[in-house]
Amino acid sequence: MKPSEVITIVSLVLSIALLLTLAYVYLVPSTSVRDLAVFYLYTTYNPVEKYTAYSPEGVTAIVWDYRGLDTLFETAVFYLALIAGLALARRLFAETTVSSARAGLSTIVKTVTRLTAPMIIAVGASIGLHGHLTPGGGFQGGSTIAVAPLLIIVIFSVYYLLASGLTTNKMLALRSMGLAGIGLTAISALLVGLLKGEHAYVFQNMPKPDSLVGLPSHIGEFLISGTLWFFNLFEAMAVAAGFTMAFIVLLLVKEVSGNERRDH
Amino acid sequence: MTKNFVGESVSPEAITYLVMALMSLLSVLAVYMAIKEKDLIKAVIYSAIQSSFYAILYYLLMAPDIALVYLPVGVGLIPGVLIILISKTERVEKD
Repeated sequence: MKPSEVITIVSLVLSIALLLTLAYVYLVPSTSVRDLAVFYLYTTYNPVEKYTAYSPEGVTAIVWDYRGLDTLFETAVFYLALIAGLALARRLFAETTVSSARAGLSTIVKTVTRLTAPMIIAVGASIGLHGHLTPGGGFQGGSTIAVAPLLIIVIFSVYYLLASGLTTNKMLALRSMGLAGIGLTAISALLVGLLKGEHAYVFQNMPKPDSLVGLPSHIGEFLISGTLWFFNLFEAMAVAAGFTMAFIVLLLVKEVSGNERRDH
Repeated sequence: MTKNFVGESVSPEAITYLVMALMSLLSVLAVYMAIKEKDLIKAVIYSAIQSSFYAILYYLLMAPDIALVYLPVGVGLIPGVLIILISKTERVEKD
């Protein structure tokens, strides 16, 4: 590290510290809460309130109930990005053949991965499916689950994953099922309302004062918060399958281009 | 209320802010190492270290949802993608 760099970094840190010292009055959050936050906190789990979401986890309630349309479009953007990535690699992974599964790292690493990969998937499923009760949700759980196929790809080679049945086509089908499930859950209350001939909304979760159609907040004794549990389930499916597919395609492109180089 | 080393009482919030300041400084250090490192694999690992400091920061800022999404994405998935991409190019950055 040269002296000029040290001086630059130290002066940068000191100037930012000075700035924060002068501006701390505006940075430290105030103790009063805004009206919108009060509304969210009051209604997110409140059985006597008419506009409740029946979810003790306020963030998931905001993400999938109060502001559900934003999250739907985020999911659609992620889906389109994956479709674009697949379209770029469409010729490359189509002609790949599954070779022997003798590649990968040492037996110790493989055994550890065999033990930890189901645990990662279990933790991801717990984060995703308990998203309406504890911090977490569909995207968090899905991206945690996607770490397990990534580990398997790196440690066992991508052909092991393909030979065990996790092909790109199956991942694409799972991804599309997840997105279709999110869409169906979004209009489920509307469909029920149309069948019963009552007034209902798109993205409706609980019954509202002007629309008595809604999804049940409990199944048996278990709190599922209406649509939130289904949204989290389908989102976790879609995100995990999407990331897995992206990793398989990224690695297969490398393998196929290596073969082509050998042919020429 | 816990006591500091000169006997004054320190509020729990102050300790939280101190840990946050420490995590921020360490993350700046990790970013510096990631930028200066010529070996790209090591740079990705420094970037993952920075991500884990950020995850602790998000947790201390009472955003456990963001911490939960930052850990798998910042420590697992993005380094995975970057290492796959580095394996297709050269590992060491040239001047």
